[in-house]
Amino acid sequence: MKQDGVADILAMAFMSVLLILGAVLMHAYSLRPLRAATDRQLELKCEHIYKALETAWVEPYTVSFLRAAAENLVLEHPTVPGPYLRSAMENALGYLSPPDYEISATLTHDGGTLIFNENIGPPSKQFVRSGAVTITGAGGENVVVQVVVRLFSFS
Amino acid sequence: MTLTQILKMLVACILVITFILVTASAYRQHRTISALAKLTDATSSIVTNLAVDELAHVDETGDKYSHVIDPDRLENLTFKREVGGENFEFQISLCYQGSENRTFGPALPENRTSCSLVVACSLWLNDRFLPAKFGVIAWYA
Repeated sequence: MKQDGVADILAMAFMSVLLILGAVLMHAYSLRPLRAATDRQLELKCEHIYKALETAWVEPYTVSFLRAAAENLVLEHPTVPGPYLRSAMENALGYLSPPDYEISATLTHDGGTLIFNENIGPPSKQFVRSGAVTITGAGGENVVVQVVVRLFSFS
Repeated sequence: MTLTQILKMLVACILVITFILVTASAYRQHRTISALAKLTDATSSIVTNLAVDELAHVDETGDKYSHVIDPDRLENLTFKREVGGENFEFQISLCYQGSENRTFGPALPENRTSCSLVVACSLWLNDRFLPAKFGVIAWYA
């Protein structure tokens, strides 16, 4: 009789533990679609940041941020002077960045690299959009500069 | 029936009731989360459609600039969309560096679940492409 009583109590305790685990798993699993939708929104934000840098002009010049940066990397006499571009680009990245996020842009060509906003702490998550900018080199040839825009999340 | 048996029966009943309540609660939460995820995706879809097509700047030659917002095209815009068989209403906000945030469209009704998405874009203003922020707040119509 005493052993039956212990077995019943053990069974109930086991069922309670199962119930708690099941409840936690069910509630945790149900949050997944929302997390995935939020991540998709952040990927979209990253895409829009890239496109904004690709199309918006560096005031007061009539050349886009990415083109101006590519020219700085490749040409000896770019349209926008380097120090002015760095200041304008970092200002624009700061403005376009969502609150609690940071953006960095990296341009590479033939071993040369130009990074904007590089001093960023370790993020919890990052979203990347890469592309290329084609400009005409000094000799009239087409030069392709690789561009990577990263959106860092710290939450 | 002894007191021990009554207690065991009581605990078993409590476990069964708790299981039913937890399952019902998880189902309700799943439905709420699914609706929120659908609203989030619908907002993304509305933003993409507006930025790439409906509000995109078109120059004199007819070339369309996706991700470049032309504020003049906001005049003929309707602020209702059907996405995935559901109807949504939305409000747009637009601002560029040094400007006030301007809103267009109906105000968000009170006590209504909404989703807000602000993305970077270019703004075609005074014959220039300016870096700007384009936001959409959407809700179930």
